[in-house]
Amino acid sequence: MKKNLKISGDDDYLRSIVKEKDISDQIINHSRSMISIINRDYIYEKVNTTFCEAHKVVFDTIIGKSLVEVWGDETFHKVIKSNIDLCFSGKTVRYEASFDTPNLGKRYFEVVFRPLSVETGEITHLLAETLDINDLVRSKQAIIKKEEELRQFESKLPIGFLRCDPDGKILSANKAFHKIMDCHDDVSFASMNLKSFYPEEGLFEMQYDQLLDSETKSFGRVTLKNCNGEEIPCRISGFLAVDESGNPSFIDFAFEDSSRELMLENRLLEAQKLETIGALAGGIAHDFNNILATISGYSEMLQEDLNSDSSVSEKVSKIQGAVLKAQSITNQMLTFSRQIEQEKIQISISEVLRETIGFVKSAIPSNIIVKSRIPSKDAIVFADPTQLFRIFLNLMTNAIQSMEKSGGTLSVNMVVVEGKLVKHELNKDIVADEYALLTFKDTGEGMNPSLIRRIFEPFYTTREVGKGTGLGLSVIHGIIKELEGEILVSSKIEKGSVFYVYLPLVKSYPDSSGKKDSMKKIVFITGNKYESRILSLALENTGYELIYISDRRNLIKVMACSAERPDLVIYMSDSKQINPEELTGIFRRFNVNTPCILITDPSQEVLEEKLLNSRIVKQHLIKPVSLKEIRNAIDISLR
Amino acid sequence: MPGVLIVEDDKGLREMLKISLVRRKFTVIEAGNGKEAITHFKPSITDLVVTDLIMPEEDGLKVIIKLKELKPSIKIIAISGGGKAGPGSYLNLAKALGANAIYSKPFSISDLIAKIEELLEYEQQT
Repeated sequence: MKKNLKISGDDDYLRSIVKEKDISDQIINHSRSMISIINRDYIYEKVNTTFCEAHKVVFDTIIGKSLVEVWGDETFHKVIKSNIDLCFSGKTVRYEASFDTPNLGKRYFEVVFRPLSVETGEITHLLAETLDINDLVRSKQAIIKKEEELRQFESKLPIGFLRCDPDGKILSANKAFHKIMDCHDDVSFASMNLKSFYPEEGLFEMQYDQLLDSETKSFGRVTLKNCNGEEIPCRISGFLAVDESGNPSFIDFAFEDSSRELMLENRLLEAQKLETIGALAGGIAHDFNNILATISGYSEMLQEDLNSDSSVSEKVSKIQGAVLKAQSITNQMLTFSRQIEQEKIQISISEVLRETIGFVKSAIPSNIIVKSRIPSKDAIVFADPTQLFRIFLNLMTNAIQSMEKSGGTLSVNMVVVEGKLVKHELNKDIVADEYALLTFKDTGEGMNPSLIRRIFEPFYTTREVGKGTGLGLSVIHGIIKELEGEILVSSKIEKGSVFYVYLPLVKSYPDSSGKKDSMKKIVFITGNKYESRILSLALENTGYELIYISDRRNLIKVMACSAERPDLVIYMSDSKQINPEELTGIFRRFNVNTPCILITDPSQEVLEEKLLNSRIVKQHLIKPVSLKEIRNAIDISLR
Repeated sequence: MPGVLIVEDDKGLREMLKISLVRRKFTVIEAGNGKEAITHFKPSITDLVVTDLIMPEEDGLKVIIKLKELKPSIKIIAISGGGKAGPGSYLNLAKALGANAIYSKPFSISDLIAKIEELLEYEQQT
């Protein structure tokens, strides 16, 4: 600072002034701020000791130097110059910036430029005061960072955070809470009370009392009511904050949506229940089979004792027919409890699905449309084709029945999905690489939730008493579980239902190097090409040559010449073209002794009695038949 | 007369099997469970065993193993009607253990008797 002191002759006065100057110099030099005086040419005219220390220079080297030299061209033009120019226009300028100092490195400074004017009012210099605020800035930055982290933690985690006063009045809530409660982001919780989300009165107060005792507490699962009044199961924990005098000031709550957890728990429970029923059904089936074996044995003995044309004999046949029907039910029970062994082969799902759709389409009412989307690419499963047919047929039949009254559309779709992507749906730890996902969607009556929960239970049926055993879906559940697959259902009343079937895919196709030369010839007589197709899919690659016959003329052609005759005839009783009398007639006419397997529907009985009595039939199977049963029957008949 | 041992815990079914076999002039020995069958087994008069598989005390698989040890030439027919692990797998196990024939309940008694006769090469003298 340059001042022209007027010196008089008074030494004491002079001394005192010099002393005062020393003091102010000391103050200036030891200030924490770097202080300097800069002229209009951006040259340092004066600096204090702090400035010199920061720049590691002595006074002489800095005085007379320009700011460009000291701070560098870039810093001067980018940060300093404009502020200095502003100050020379008469304003006090204050700004924060980081500068490189030789002694301390890059640090944050607060800079104040004050204009200094002479008597005329002209601003000739400015006073620069630069304060090191590095620590302050750094701690401010750290706080901001911490705040940002906290904000992210609060907003990114799927946990609802909420702060309320001891009365439950909501002070703040995060986004996740909005989401869990299904409230629009615009909904302000500020005027709301947490109690309004609670399912019953007094629960909040109870939690508050518990928090008074233990400060933090996990309350377990509570079903809250969301913004739409729907029930949301949540895991709740709370923390009570107190002020300096120990009075409760606010409560922080964390809410975790546990719907999925609950859903999985329910499914596990369902599975366990079905497992128990399965074991029970298996036990019942076992005992029943003993009883049936006894009835069947005695009736066979009785039949032997009787003259075949006695009227009693006919009654005994009826007993035997009833035993067979009962056996088909015990078999289904065993399938539900997964106690029937399925003979599995590698089979294309799309092929079985297409055949089943064809089968269904041939018999649906006109008010129902069947749509399907099935990829042409082969999806191979390791399963019994007749069981697959049963699954598909049953699901489609159910769908059609649900639309019988008002008509509608059945959509059958199939896609191949990656196992790891559907792990959650499958609820399995270990999944196959790929699954076929089949959906059977109807626009029928739909089901209410209490019904959905029970549809896979055996003997549970929505049909009238006597119109089915109620084993259908439970058996399907059993087959799918046996295949390591999964069946799920979603349904809405009056909108319809969707069944999702997941089946694990296998990669390779077996080489079908059948022993062609030793192939046995089997004739299939059936009225329904789709169903016989399923059977043939099942028997392909198993070393038999299959011939399909659906009319009388072709059957005669095959049977007339003994050289052309098949080794076995499989007769499906739905064959309309060839009735049992015609079959027995042809057999007698050409004196055929080819063994015959009869496959009947449990609902037909009159028709096959004659056949059974004709001694042509060596084996009698009742639908649904499994591949294993057919194979066994063929093996026995050809023995 | 060939001797047939029937091992079956269901009394009604055992009785029926017995009657049907006696009609065919077989000598029938009965056992209500596997343990009884093994402890009272008389190799000299038993040519064939018809055994249930799932029974209290010792099960049918044990019967097959044990009786094969006591009389290697014995013929065995296993019958089963399902149970906890399933009739299929049990019957297959029985077959693997040396059962000559297997039947799921309910079975045709004439098939069973035909099988017994075949195994014993027994022609009924009528």
